[in-house]
Amino acid sequence: MEDLKIGVYVCNCGTNIAKVVDCDATIESASRLPGVAIARPYKYMCSNPGQEMIVADIREHGLNRVVVAACSPRMHEPTFRKALQQAGVNPYFLEMANIREQCSWVHEDGAVATEKAKALVKAAVLRVARHEPLERRSVDMCPDLLVIGGGIAGMTAALDLADAGSKIYLVERADHLGGNLARVDLTAPYLDSARDMLTDRMTRVVEHPNISLLLNSEVERLEGFVGNFQATIATKARNGNAADQVATVDVGSVVVCTGYKEFDASRITHYGYGKLPNVITSFEFEKMLREGGVETKEGKAPQYVAIIHCVGSRNLEFHAYCSRVCCMTALKYAHEVKSAVPGAYVSDIYIDMHAFGKGHEDFYRRSSEVKTLFLMYAKDDYPVIRRADAKDDCEMLIEVNESLSGETIEIPADMVILMVGMEARDDWADVAHLVNISGDKDGWFIESHPKLDPVATTTDGIYIAGACQAPKDIPDSVAQARAAAARILGRIAKGKLEIDAVFAEVDEDKCSGCRMCNELCPYTAIEFDAEKKRSHIISALCKACGACVAACPSGAIAARHFTDAQIFAQIEGVLA
Amino acid sequence: MAIRANPKLIEELETYGAQDVSKCYHCGNCSATCPFSQDPYILPRRSMRSLQMGLERKLEGDLEPWLCYYCGECSQECPRDAEPGETMMSLRRWLTSRYDFTGISKLFYRSWRIELAAILLVAMLTGLGFFLFGLSQGNIHHYDGVNAFLPGEKIHFFDWGLAIVLLVLLLTNCARMWWFTIGRDKSKRVPLTAYIKSAYLLPMHFMTQMRYAKCERKRPWVIHLILMLSYVTMLILIMFFVKRMAAGPAIDWRVHAFGLAATVGLLGTTIFAVRGRIKKTENHYKHSHETDWMFLILLIVVAGTGILQFILHRSGLDMAANITYVVHLMSVVPMLGLEVPFSKWSHLAYRPLAMYFAEIKAEAARAEARASQGVRAPQAA
Repeated sequence: MEDLKIGVYVCNCGTNIAKVVDCDATIESASRLPGVAIARPYKYMCSNPGQEMIVADIREHGLNRVVVAACSPRMHEPTFRKALQQAGVNPYFLEMANIREQCSWVHEDGAVATEKAKALVKAAVLRVARHEPLERRSVDMCPDLLVIGGGIAGMTAALDLADAGSKIYLVERADHLGGNLARVDLTAPYLDSARDMLTDRMTRVVEHPNISLLLNSEVERLEGFVGNFQATIATKARNGNAADQVATVDVGSVVVCTGYKEFDASRITHYGYGKLPNVITSFEFEKMLREGGVETKEGKAPQYVAIIHCVGSRNLEFHAYCSRVCCMTALKYAHEVKSAVPGAYVSDIYIDMHAFGKGHEDFYRRSSEVKTLFLMYAKDDYPVIRRADAKDDCEMLIEVNESLSGETIEIPADMVILMVGMEARDDWADVAHLVNISGDKDGWFIESHPKLDPVATTTDGIYIAGACQAPKDIPDSVAQARAAAARILGRIAKGKLEIDAVFAEVDEDKCSGCRMCNELCPYTAIEFDAEKKRSHIISALCKACGACVAACPSGAIAARHFTDAQIFAQIEGVLA
Repeated sequence: MAIRANPKLIEELETYGAQDVSKCYHCGNCSATCPFSQDPYILPRRSMRSLQMGLERKLEGDLEPWLCYYCGECSQECPRDAEPGETMMSLRRWLTSRYDFTGISKLFYRSWRIELAAILLVAMLTGLGFFLFGLSQGNIHHYDGVNAFLPGEKIHFFDWGLAIVLLVLLLTNCARMWWFTIGRDKSKRVPLTAYIKSAYLLPMHFMTQMRYAKCERKRPWVIHLILMLSYVTMLILIMFFVKRMAAGPAIDWRVHAFGLAATVGLLGTTIFAVRGRIKKTENHYKHSHETDWMFLILLIVVAGTGILQFILHRSGLDMAANITYVVHLMSVVPMLGLEVPFSKWSHLAYRPLAMYFAEIKAEAARAEARASQGVRAPQAA
């Protein structure tokens, strides 16, 4: 093995590191470590001049290992690996010492922090000496796709991808397309018909030569990894006696668009849903609108219509989040009630009016111009609905502690519409398990990055779009669907995909076939070879988390780039 | 106890000139800009809110609309064009109709046709009555003296009769205003001393309208004050100095100077207001209810015929002066008999009363606070 020539670079990160850690002392200490050929500070290592400095030093001094003492590797490890690669050194001959998040940001005492920085740098130097050159590999990308869910998001993603030439399997559990949007009459804020919007999409989906539409179907199993998934889809037989059809298809990526379900209004007792006949949910009202008649259960036109917002949303008892669409839908109802029953009085009982989207504020304004009475109530101080007395000119009375006036008032109502929020579908955990992604505490699927990577997930090749990720309206769902399509098309265009060289491997000679690791793997990356009676890791799926490495009783599993020798060297460095 | 909201009230107020009340979303810009929005009053936002929700009984007992002088800053600042200033104006009209037990006021505000018909009817009856009376009693070619077409003393007697009727009507309405705003609320007990202590406020606010002067722009106050003082001057002249006014031919400057000044004041300010309302020069001129026009036109006709009959008489054109005088009376009688108790003119009484009542209520609140402190003190010790 050639002589070690390690370059150590200590980043000041402006003053983020330098104001606590004595960078010069850290450099001085590093320069005395074995194998260190050069040690230098710089204001911002991640900047272009910083990277160029590494490249120049490698070329000039023949460095073969690099340690960058800076921030967490999460952001800039790829940056510095690229610099090494550019200078002709294997990118895995890099180690980062995190002297910002783990040092300067969490310590106040400069002297102690400097000692810790020195130790972290030493650990990195000892570790990098034991790094091995690793090669990234590439695998083929299957251009066909699986879209789960035939709502507006699923159809949009399917159409975009199909138009680009991919073969799409669109799987929908129900016997029709459209999802929750098919239950809606008009849409806010422009009062366009949901049916018109859907009919166009549905016709195109059904007729598209690249889309294979599977209604009454569910994905039973998904195996494989990005670019190379195998999906098993079961289609219910139309005839009750016939057996379900099961098909297995190869797909490169999956778009999950499973949507939401509405909150069950009977869980809130104050509103008397299920007991008072004319207290209905927003979806029941949509049905009424689609059928063309706004009337009470007694068949009369309501004189007073009250709309209560945030039913199941924005309170700690049920769901803390905002369902995002109810405010504008409620305003839409104000318009729709007024056009169906011109003399009606509409009261809109809300907590806060969330008119955040394009055209929403204007819509809010127009709703007040058609004389909607807006009444504000405080969170967790629910309005209470009761039957009116015989002498009243209304069927119900709603008591509200009205925040804007500070008065406790009673508002008449003949019909009460509860704006039920969105919640994750009951089987969200099954879907998450099926495609190997995770859900948050409310059951919404978690994206790779909430801002910078909103449609990808932690599982490569699995994308999420629409309300299964969080409550959202039509434009946002459509935008996500198209974003997912664009992400996938970008990958298909490349033809091949590169896989990180860091993954775990099973030494078949040592493996006893106990299968302990199989269930442990959070990425379902380990399969069992029944013939050889040995476990095998699918490197494309492995994220090198190390769970199997630690668990293997035979010590048969090693993770590349996280070998025992490397980790022990690192520990030695920290403790020295 | 919950107050019953009435979503229909807002529509009722529209007939009183309220517009765009529903647009308000309670940002509070109006209250921030209003110089009168000080604890315990929130002008004009609270009234906007009560109206939106239709809290009828609460609005009835509200002094806030009378504490507003309609400078219009609120309407200008309103981001939603909800016209809070005009809402306060319409609430004053509505309150006027609520104070009036006869229901005539309500009829007038809700239908300009009825008000116009009533004015014309009273004018015609007055004209006919005086004309027949004049023809039977005197000579149309004589303006004053024994043969006068309309003898001064008799007209004066009629004046006083009318004044008493008006006073009774107006006082009844004022009593009802007291009942709605103070008397009805059993939870607050107002000590008699408070009524006496603050009594000076009534003539003070009436004569100076000093509260109006607190508005940012002063011109509306000056115009309003000139109009009011001219009117009151003229009223005093007619009630107490009518003989000297009519006597001729020499000009008695001790009364005529005041008379001429008041006429100039009345004509100047009313013409200014008419022009303002046509051209919408001021915030408070932007929206004109039919009753505003009728009031202004009546006032111009009263002042115009008043000065015209004076000029004609002094020019020796007695017959023309007599006819003009009948026309003058035809406008004065509906002006006094209809506008004072049942329409816009009644605010002459309600506004100073509101300031007076507001102070009484504040005094009562202070007394209550002192009393409750007095109870707490021994416990603390």
